[in-house]
Amino acid sequence: MKIVLQNLTKIFPSRNKKSHEEVVAVNNFNFEIPDGKLIGLLGPSGCGKSTTLYMISGLQKPSSGKIFFGDDDVTELSTENRGIGLVFQNYALYPHLTVKQNILFPLQNLKGKDKLDKDTMLNRAYEAAKLVQIEQLLDRKPSELSGGQQQRVAIARALVKMPRVLLLDEPLSNLDARLRLQTREEIRRIQKETGITTVFVTHDQEEAMSISDMIVVMKTGIVQQIGKPQDVYDDPANLFVAKFLGTPPINVFSGRVKGGTLYIGGDAVMDIQTVADQEVTVGIRPEGFVLDDNGPLKCKPTNVEVMGRDVSIVSTHDASLNPLVRSIVNADSKIDIGSEYVRYAVKPHKIFIFSKETEERIYFEVK
Amino acid sequence: MVESKQQWKAWLYLAPAIVLLLIFTVWPIINTVAMAFMEDYSGLAKIGGDASFHFGFGNFVKVAQNAEFKQALTNTIFLCLITVPVSTVLALLIAVALHAIKPLQKALQTIFFLPYVTNSIAIGMVFAAMFNVIGSVGTRRPLISSYGIVNDIIRFFGGNWVNWINSGSDYWANMFVLIVYIVWNALPFKILILLGGLTSINKQYYEAAKVDSTPRWRVLTRITVPLLSPMLAYVVITGFIAGFKEYTSIVGIFGESMGPVHEAHRLNTMVGLIYDSLASNNQGRASAAALILFGIILVVTLINLWVSKKRVHY
Amino acid sequence: MSQSTMQVMHARDMQKTSGRQKILKFLGQFGIYLFLILMAAIVLFPFYWMVISSLKSLAEYRLSPPTFWPMQVLITNYADAFTTASLGVLFKNTMIVGVISTLLSLVITVFTAFAFARLEFKGKELLFAALLATMMIPGELFTITNFATVTNLGWRNTYTVLIVPFLVSVFYIYLLRQNFLQIPNELYLAAKVDGTSDLKYLWKVMVPLSLPTLISITILKMMGAWNSYIWPRLVANDEAHRLITNGLRNAFTDTTGDVNYPVQMAAVALVSAPLFLVFVFLRKYIMSGVSRSGIKG
Repeated sequence: MKIVLQNLTKIFPSRNKKSHEEVVAVNNFNFEIPDGKLIGLLGPSGCGKSTTLYMISGLQKPSSGKIFFGDDDVTELSTENRGIGLVFQNYALYPHLTVKQNILFPLQNLKGKDKLDKDTMLNRAYEAAKLVQIEQLLDRKPSELSGGQQQRVAIARALVKMPRVLLLDEPLSNLDARLRLQTREEIRRIQKETGITTVFVTHDQEEAMSISDMIVVMKTGIVQQIGKPQDVYDDPANLFVAKFLGTPPINVFSGRVKGGTLYIGGDAVMDIQTVADQEVTVGIRPEGFVLDDNGPLKCKPTNVEVMGRDVSIVSTHDASLNPLVRSIVNADSKIDIGSEYVRYAVKPHKIFIFSKETEERIYFEVK
Repeated sequence: MVESKQQWKAWLYLAPAIVLLLIFTVWPIINTVAMAFMEDYSGLAKIGGDASFHFGFGNFVKVAQNAEFKQALTNTIFLCLITVPVSTVLALLIAVALHAIKPLQKALQTIFFLPYVTNSIAIGMVFAAMFNVIGSVGTRRPLISSYGIVNDIIRFFGGNWVNWINSGSDYWANMFVLIVYIVWNALPFKILILLGGLTSINKQYYEAAKVDSTPRWRVLTRITVPLLSPMLAYVVITGFIAGFKEYTSIVGIFGESMGPVHEAHRLNTMVGLIYDSLASNNQGRASAAALILFGIILVVTLINLWVSKKRVHY
Repeated sequence: MSQSTMQVMHARDMQKTSGRQKILKFLGQFGIYLFLILMAAIVLFPFYWMVISSLKSLAEYRLSPPTFWPMQVLITNYADAFTTASLGVLFKNTMIVGVISTLLSLVITVFTAFAFARLEFKGKELLFAALLATMMIPGELFTITNFATVTNLGWRNTYTVLIVPFLVSVFYIYLLRQNFLQIPNELYLAAKVDGTSDLKYLWKVMVPLSLPTLISITILKMMGAWNSYIWPRLVANDEAHRLITNGLRNAFTDTTGDVNYPVQMAAVALVSAPLFLVFVFLRKYIMSGVSRSGIKG
C-alpha cells in the first residue's frame, strides 16, 4: 500500500490565549511513500515528525492537504477505519490484560463481516506473537516483561489485524543501547517479512539511517530532504541536513570562494571554478580528510583517539565553527602528535559548501 | 489529543450529573440564600405553605435573638475548642507510637481505625449505656440498681459516682460525655492521616537526629511535628469543620430531645437548630441559620489557614 | 597504665554504656507498647461492652459490681431486638436504597469522570472548578431547599427521595477523575486505532484499571446509606421506607433511665455487624478511600 501525502499542513492554534500566534507544525508536506518500504521520519524534537505520523494515523486531522492510502482518499476517514497499526513510544499496553489479551484486543473490536470466530482470533494472535518471537510470554502481564519484550508485544498488537500501514512512534527510544541495536534489526526483519508499508519516527539519525529504505529529514515543520539514507548522507541539500546526519558529526568551517579557489581561513583548500566569489560555510565529513604532508589544510593537533580499525585525530583550526576538528583516518597512517601542524588533503566528494546566507548547498565541479 | 468534532458526546456523558446537580445543588444554593432574606416565607407551596413574604434581615435577627441559638452556638464552639485539640494531640501521640513499633503494628492500626466504620447513632447508644445510671436518680433518696460501668470503674478506684446523663445531671457532666464520645469517634481518621504523613517523611532526618543523639521528645517536637505540619493543619481544619456540624453524636447519646430528660434541647447544636427550624416549617429561619453556620465555618477555616500559613512547613 | 589496658578499659566502658542504652531502649519500647495497648483497650471497650451486654439477662446487667463475662449467654436478646425494632423491614429498606443508589451513583460517576478526564469540550476546566467549589458548602444548606423540592415533587415517603438527591457526589467524581488521569493517554489512542468505541474503552480498560477506587467508592456509598440519619428522618420516616439508623433510634427512644439495655445492645450489635464484616474484609479499600477524603460515608 503506497501512501501519498499531498500538501499536508497542520497548524495548531496558539496555547497562549493572549497572543494569537499559530504554530505551524507541518508545512506543505508532499511525499509519495512507495509500497512495502520502511520510511524513517527524522528530525530534532518539535520538527513535526510526530504530528505527521499522527495525521497519517488519523488521530490528528490535517489543517489542509490530503492523505491517500493507495488510491483511497483517507483524509476524512477516522482512525479506526483506516486499517493502520500504531506502536506508541511507551508501548501503551493495557496493564491489566495479559500479553495474549492485549494482542487479541484489536481483533475483538472487529464488527460485521470482519468479525472473527474465537479460533481464528487465537490463531492470528499466536501468529503475530510468533512473528515477534514472544510466543512463550503469552500469559504474562506487561509489568512482568522487559522493555524489549513489551516493545515486541506492542508490535504484535499492531500487526495482528494485518494493517495496511504500520506506524511506529520513536520505537526504540525507551530501550537501552544494546537492546536498541537488536530491536532495530528485528523491526527491519519483521517489516521485510510482512512487507507492510511502515513509517517510523525518530530523532536518532543513526537509527533512521541503519534500517530505513528512505528517510525524510524535517526541521520546524518543513521537509528538508527525502531520499535513501546513503544518498542523503552523501549529498545533503543544505547545512542542516549535513549537520544532522553522521557520527561523528560533520566538521564545519567558515570559508570563502575567491577567484575560483575555496579558502578555509588562510588555507586554499581546493579549486572550484564554477562558483562565484562569496562567503560560504564549508562542511567536511570526518572521513573526508587524508593525511598529506603537503596538504593544504593545516590544523593544530590536540589528541589522537585509536578506535580499532580507525584513528580519530582531534585538532583545532581558526576557521572552524566547532571547537574541535575531528578526522577519521586509516590506522596505518603515521601520526606525529608532537608536531605543530597536521596537514590534510580533502576528498572532493566529502566536502560540501553552503551559502552563508541561505545555508543551501552550492554545487561545484572539481577540476 | 484526539480531535473530536463531537462535543455533544462529552455533554451526553455529563448530562445525568449536570441535571441532578442543577436540581439538587445549584438551585438550593440560589434558593437557600434567597429564602434567608424572605421573611415569613415557606417553601412548601404544594402542601399549602403561605406564599406571601417580604425581603429583609428579619430571619437573621430572629435567629440571633433566639435564646436557643446562643445556647447552640456556645455548645458548638465549646465542643470544637475542646475536642479538636484533644483528639489531634492524642491522634498524634498514637500515630507516632504506632510508627515506632514493628510487631503488632498492623493489628493495632486496625483496632484504632475501627471506630470509623461505625454508625454514630448506634455507638452513641452504647456510650449512653456505659454512662447511664439505672434506678431513680435525682430524687432525695436515690434508689440505684446499677451505676453503669463508668461509675463502677470510678467507684472501684475509690471515687464518687457521677450523674452523667440522667435526669438532673449537670451540664458539664453532659459535655464531658459528649467530648469523650466525639474524641473517640474523631481519632481514627486523624490517626490514619497522620500515620500516612509519618510514613512519607524521609528516614534520613531521623538518622541524622540519631547521629546527633537527639532525645526522643526533642525528635518529636523538633522534627516530626514540623515535618508533619501540613497533615496536622489538614486534620485540624477538617476537625473544626466536622465539629461545627456536630449533631448525630448528641442524638446518639441523648436522643432527639438533645438533652437530659429534665432539660431537653440544652445540648442543641447549630445543625440541630437548622433542622428544628425546618421541622417547624420555618424555611427562612433555617436558611438564615445555615448561612450563619456557613459563614462561621468559612471564617474559622480562613483563620486556620492563616495560622497554618505562618506555622506550616511545606 | 599501658596502652593495651587502656583499650580494654575503654571497651568495657563501651559495653557498659551500650548495655545501659539497651535497657533504656527496651524501656522506651515497653512504654510505647503500654501506651498503645492501653489506648487500644479504651477504643475497643465500647464494642466489648456492647457485645457482652447484649448477651446478658436484664437482671445480670443490673448487677453491681458488673460482670465482665455473661454468666449465662442469652441469645434470645437478639431475637427480641429483631422483632422490637422490626429490623427485618429496616434491613430490607436500607439494602434497597443502598444497592440502587450505589449502582446508579457508580454509573453517573464513571461517565462524568470519563468526560472530565478524557474528552475535550468547551468550558471543561471552568465546569470542573465550579463542581469542586460546591464541596466547600455545608450540606445543611442544600438540605433546606431539597426538602422543599422533594415535598413539592410529591416524593416524600418514597424510595426515590432517599436515592435520587444524592446520586451525584462531586468528591467521588474528583477521586475517579484523578485515577483516570493517571492512565496514560496513549492507551486511549491505541484503543482508538484499534477501533474501540469510547464506551467499550471505558468498560474494558478504564474501569478495570480503576477498580480499587471504584470499590472504595462502592463501600463508602453503601456505608453512607447504612449510616444516613438526618435526611431520611426528614423526608421518609414512615414505616414502609424507614432506614436502619432511624429505625434503631425510633425503636429505642429512651437512652437514660430504666432501659432494657441487653435488647437495645443486641439491636445495636445487629446494626453494627454488617459494618464490621465489610471492615474486616475490605479494610484496605476503606482506608485508602478515607485517607483521600475525610468524608464519612
